[in-house]
Amino acid sequence: MGETVAFLIEAKGLTKSFGGLRAVKGVDFHLNAGEIVGLIGPNGAGKTTLFNLVSGIYPPDEGTLSFRGMEISSLKPFEICRLGIARTFQIVRPFLKMSCLENVLIGIIGRSDHREGREAKEEEARNLLKFVGLGGHEKNLANNLTLIEKKRLEMARALATRPSLLLLDEVLAGLNPSEILQALELIEILRTQLKVTIFWIEHVMGAIMKASDRIIVLDQGQKIQEGKPQEVVNNSKVIEAYLGESDA
Amino acid sequence: MSEFLMYLTNGIVIGVINAISAIGVSLIVGIMKVINFAHGELYIFAGYFSYHLSVSLGVPPLLAVPLSVFFIFLIGLGMERTLIRPTYGDEMYSLIITFVLSIVLQSAALLIFGPYPQKPPNWVTGAMNIFGFFHYGNQRILSFFISIVVLISIFYLIRRTWFGKSIRAISQDREMTALVGVDHLRMNMVAFGLGAALAGAAGVILAPIFPVTPTGSSSVSLNAFIVVVLGGMGSLKGCVIGGLVLGIIENLGAAYISSMYRHIFGFIILILVLVFRPWGLFGQKAQ
Amino acid sequence: MKNKQQKRNLNPFWIGSFFILLALFPPFFLSQYWLHVMIISLFYVMMASSWNLIAGFTGQVSFAHAAFSGIGAYVSGMLAVFLGLSPWLAIFVGTGASAFLGLGLGYLCIRMGGIYLSLTTLGFSEILRIIITNEDQWTRGTMGLQTPGFFAEYSKISYYYLFLIATILLLIFIYKIIHSEIGLTFRAVLNDELAASSSGINTVKVRILAFTVSSAMAGLAGGLYGHYLMLITPDIPSLGQMFLVLAMAVIGGMGSFIGPIVGSFLLEILSEYIRIYGEYHVLLFGLVALVMARFAPEGVVGIWKRRWGKRWLS
Repeated sequence: MGETVAFLIEAKGLTKSFGGLRAVKGVDFHLNAGEIVGLIGPNGAGKTTLFNLVSGIYPPDEGTLSFRGMEISSLKPFEICRLGIARTFQIVRPFLKMSCLENVLIGIIGRSDHREGREAKEEEARNLLKFVGLGGHEKNLANNLTLIEKKRLEMARALATRPSLLLLDEVLAGLNPSEILQALELIEILRTQLKVTIFWIEHVMGAIMKASDRIIVLDQGQKIQEGKPQEVVNNSKVIEAYLGESDA
Repeated sequence: MSEFLMYLTNGIVIGVINAISAIGVSLIVGIMKVINFAHGELYIFAGYFSYHLSVSLGVPPLLAVPLSVFFIFLIGLGMERTLIRPTYGDEMYSLIITFVLSIVLQSAALLIFGPYPQKPPNWVTGAMNIFGFFHYGNQRILSFFISIVVLISIFYLIRRTWFGKSIRAISQDREMTALVGVDHLRMNMVAFGLGAALAGAAGVILAPIFPVTPTGSSSVSLNAFIVVVLGGMGSLKGCVIGGLVLGIIENLGAAYISSMYRHIFGFIILILVLVFRPWGLFGQKAQ
Repeated sequence: MKNKQQKRNLNPFWIGSFFILLALFPPFFLSQYWLHVMIISLFYVMMASSWNLIAGFTGQVSFAHAAFSGIGAYVSGMLAVFLGLSPWLAIFVGTGASAFLGLGLGYLCIRMGGIYLSLTTLGFSEILRIIITNEDQWTRGTMGLQTPGFFAEYSKISYYYLFLIATILLLIFIYKIIHSEIGLTFRAVLNDELAASSSGINTVKVRILAFTVSSAMAGLAGGLYGHYLMLITPDIPSLGQMFLVLAMAVIGGMGSFIGPIVGSFLLEILSEYIRIYGEYHVLLFGLVALVMARFAPEGVVGIWKRRWGKRWLS
């Protein structure tokens, strides 16, 4: 029957320019709850800019962005986070001079439901650290972690905010094959156990193709293709976009 | 009318010297994202150097002036190498370090040079009649023209030479320039030295007109910052226009509104700009 | 088992109480001169600790801190002189004025980072000093405004205990903030404002709160100081005072609770000894602060921690 299932998040005509440069031009996309959607494209395609628009770091010049039916394009990052959108960063950004526990606590404190006491929050933070594989590192300063541990910490902090939508910006960068497999497992658990919808940017093609339900391709700020991984990877426009990228 | 023109002229003369001073700050901010709070102290030191070289040591002004500027250039290199370089990436600490440095230099100036204002000898004497409106000191006129020459040289240096282009490139995209093989550390040091030298140049040009005192350094620094913010960080043209605007507003304001509140005009401009248009007149709008 | 026992012995409550107890004794054996030095030190403890809250904990390097103490002093002093208000009440109005202006300044600076914020606060401080110096029918300018003290009969001992109580209350308040969730959000903003905002922290509220609270504290300290000296001059809201406060926090150790306390006592007492030889203390402190900021950003406290471990200090 004609039941319309509302999108978890929907964007229409998103446009953003910096100075004279149009980073994102008229991009439409949507995600359904429970999906894992990949965002790919050559360097400079506007992927991170798109994420920044979604997470509220700057407002779009044009276009609409609605989350659960609510317009969010003019909201500040912390408001968007409290609505249920969390993210990680391309260059990992944990709070370096704070301990792992404190890092995750911030995510918990940032939520609007402040009813639990400090003890309960610390308990929850400890559990999250264990969940991402950082159990035992509670008192360790984030600065002292390895790259993959920092990524896990950032993930824990993001999860602490209890998101419905998680934006992952190149989480797999810098990881070796076994670490990549671990990360993919974690992502799947996020979807099935924590019911988090995932929107992720990746350059590690094998991984993103394998783990995503759907792929969106950006090139020079515009969406040039969208569809199942197999369709997208064989599409001529997509191949051209990547080949057009200089051999850097 | 002639009174107004004279105040205006004062404003313009001070304005171009402000501009030189401001470029000194802007250069350092642009390339290193560090604001040199000790700017005014370098200016004062240059003034005292030129005074002592000419008066105490009998060096002719033609030599004393560039020599003083050169000394300040060396001091600038030293400052960058020992104090600023290690604080890269940490904005808070470079702020604190240059602020403390300015206080240290101010105290040092008091101890070394004493609290009394000193005025290096004029390079020319007498006055000229300006279009029949008013008489104007020749020293000021000469300072004005020398400042113009200095400004033109800086513009040439930054716009046309390889050195200047590297500086502009680094200000805009540090990573790219590293790929192209620009020696960052060396460039930073030289840029800092150049910024210091410009502070010194402003000092030696203005000192024969307005005597230098150790306590006058704060207002020199603050004036430079105001001009840089007003003109827009990273814009040479902005420094010139901003310097002129500040000079004119201060002089006219002091003459017609209140001379006691002379320095307040600058601060009000500073805060207004920072709140409403932080990128200044010609700066780039950051995202 | 041994751990728990250690924790009980070194519990900050006991350490704090010990020092408070210790602090009750000086009036019994110190001369009037050294009692005065202690009072001044306590003033600086309040100033440096509250500046540390905003600069060391949220990363907003404000140069307006001395200006806020000046606002507290002048508002309180002028109320006492022109309206006959009792200093006991007037200082609260002064504190309120500082808090209000601190909130305003914090709001003004909210879209600024690092350099711009420092410049704005610098501009604010200088504007204030110029106004105070020029509007001498109200402030008596550089001659100074003579104000009544707190006690009908002047007694340095009474002032000492007054300052001690105020300082202790202030420090308890600061301690609670630092160790609360709010303190955690302060440090998050210090570390990475963007990441903090993306994690749900209202960073605007955090920054403005830090500004308001710290300037209120500076206002209170200034009010107390003014009525102690019974002469309020434009030296109070000067950049020279700002420098001293900054040096004390930096040398003592920014970002720690004890750092500013140590720094204040250290520098104030040292400056008394140096004064015998001449006005060299500014130069000397500047050099030390420079060396500290360059080589030991965590200050004296940081050096102590590195050599003798964390057990004693928090």
